[in-house]
Amino acid sequence: MSYAYMFKYIIIGDTGVGKSCLLLQFTDKRFQPVHDLTIGVEFGARLVDIEDKQIKLQIWDTAGQEAFRSITRSYYRGAAGALLVYDITRRETFNHLTTWLDDARQHSSSNMVIILIGNKNDLVSRREVNAEEGEAFAREHGLIFMETSAKTASNVEEAFINTAKEIYGKIREGVFDISNEANGIKLGVQQSPSANSLSPTTKSFYQNTGCC
Amino acid sequence: MASYKARLREFEELVARDDIDMQKLKNLCFNGIPDEATNRALCWRLMLNYLPPSKKSWSELLSRKRELYKQFINEMIVSPGEVDAGDGERVDVTFADHPLNLNPESNWGTFFKDNEVLLQIDKDVRRLCPDISFFQQPTLYPCEEIVNSGGSKRLHRRVHHTFLKSANVERKGLGITRIALSVRKAPEDYAPLPEGSEAHWEVVERILFLYAKLNPGQGYVQGMNEIIGVIYHVFASDPDPVWRAYAEPDTFFAFTNLMGEIRDFFIKSLDEADTGINKLMNTLSNELRAADYDVYSCLQQQELRPQYYSFRWLTLLLSQEFPLPDLLRIWDSLFADSRRFSFLIYVCTAMIMHLRDKILENDFPSNVKLLQNFPPIDVRILITKASEISMRKKMYS
Repeated sequence: MSYAYMFKYIIIGDTGVGKSCLLLQFTDKRFQPVHDLTIGVEFGARLVDIEDKQIKLQIWDTAGQEAFRSITRSYYRGAAGALLVYDITRRETFNHLTTWLDDARQHSSSNMVIILIGNKNDLVSRREVNAEEGEAFAREHGLIFMETSAKTASNVEEAFINTAKEIYGKIREGVFDISNEANGIKLGVQQSPSANSLSPTTKSFYQNTGCC
Repeated sequence: MASYKARLREFEELVARDDIDMQKLKNLCFNGIPDEATNRALCWRLMLNYLPPSKKSWSELLSRKRELYKQFINEMIVSPGEVDAGDGERVDVTFADHPLNLNPESNWGTFFKDNEVLLQIDKDVRRLCPDISFFQQPTLYPCEEIVNSGGSKRLHRRVHHTFLKSANVERKGLGITRIALSVRKAPEDYAPLPEGSEAHWEVVERILFLYAKLNPGQGYVQGMNEIIGVIYHVFASDPDPVWRAYAEPDTFFAFTNLMGEIRDFFIKSLDEADTGINKLMNTLSNELRAADYDVYSCLQQQELRPQYYSFRWLTLLLSQEFPLPDLLRIWDSLFADSRRFSFLIYVCTAMIMHLRDKILENDFPSNVKLLQNFPPIDVRILITKASEISMRKKMYS
């Protein structure tokens, strides 16, 4: 299938916050109440439309337990976007965000777009973290923020797509060097960009490589 | 059918002897332990070196181990603050332990630290084998001291959950046809049972908690729950009640022995060591190169690294890849392997080769998905293939 770009994402956060369920809801549009524990990594992919462009998202869903941290780290490299997830019904998963963020910043490209996700917002009666707290954390660290529910699918599409929009915006501004795959962005094979929609850096990339 | 009966008889004869010929037993088990009779649980106890081949020592050993396990429960599943004060007696509590005590020797301090581990275990055992109902059912052999303690010794009480009933929402997207899957269990189904009884998942929770307490250098790592779940399931469904009644302590010791062999896969500081998981993934990669160069180089070209799929295969001894009955059959062969766990590598190699046509045709995303969600297969074909690889290997070395 043809696509203009491929973006690589990684999903991180404590165990049991719903990372795998978010991925499953996004790629398969279904919810699995009891998901197998993620050991190592799981993979999912989907095409989305951003400003009339087909973009392929390749998503790596990682294991949350501390013991697997060293494995998770190797997946940051070459990720253009990260979904950092906590569970709004468990305060400790919110408290651990700084550790996750430090880890992500340290092991990824500096341009990686990070979205903070407060998941399980269908469980309002068990809420332990307010939306305002999530927002404040995101503002302080320059992240996008959304509350989602992998169960009702509320905001799930939006979370993945807003991240893609932000990455696409950065490409157009020329912030991302798309010739370097370590940034987690790959050009589609049948890409024929209209020259005026692209930044000077991107244009020179096409000229240099003589890409279709 | 005749050969099945003959095999059954062979097993029975072999385990009926006072001194069991382990080599013969392993050879038999390698080809699968019949699901009938008590064989599997007994054979696994033997192959995991929990029971010695000589039956003379069994009764003494079993009663000693089971007594020891009881002691572990008594010593390690305690709540601080249970002070026995006589009726109406005044007790000086000036130097008594209390929840805010910062002293490292404080029982309360240990209690809170343990609860962090427990919280993790509790969440994970409530996710055990959601495709079957076994773990949510009550055990016929609950630990009396725990289930009649008025709740005070129940481990999950310490990390207390509340449950909300809610319906499952499923959505169909544009142009996407959802394939109906079998109904899985919801978290609500793993509710604790009332005083006097307990569910199988509660038993597994206790075994894992004790294991983590007794092996502080390693603690509890996700994935151990999957491995212990399989062993416990086999022991707790033993048709012979004499054995079944002791599924809990026996699982603990058999699991401890098994972990002794694969523990390094679960220790991140040893990931790079010779016994660690990276080395094992390399071995698999080399094996695949030798057995099927085309598939190997296709995966290489796509930069589809072994850790994307084989990390889970190897650390969990394939427990997440197959339905339980198939897995039991595979583990019969894995445990019977005298050079544990080389046969595991051959099974994994056979799994990849089984998908060769698809792999050679697919692109990267389809291949990762394929390998991470191994399609249903007749396991006998897989084992035969793995044996062939193993034979060829022996011939050339």
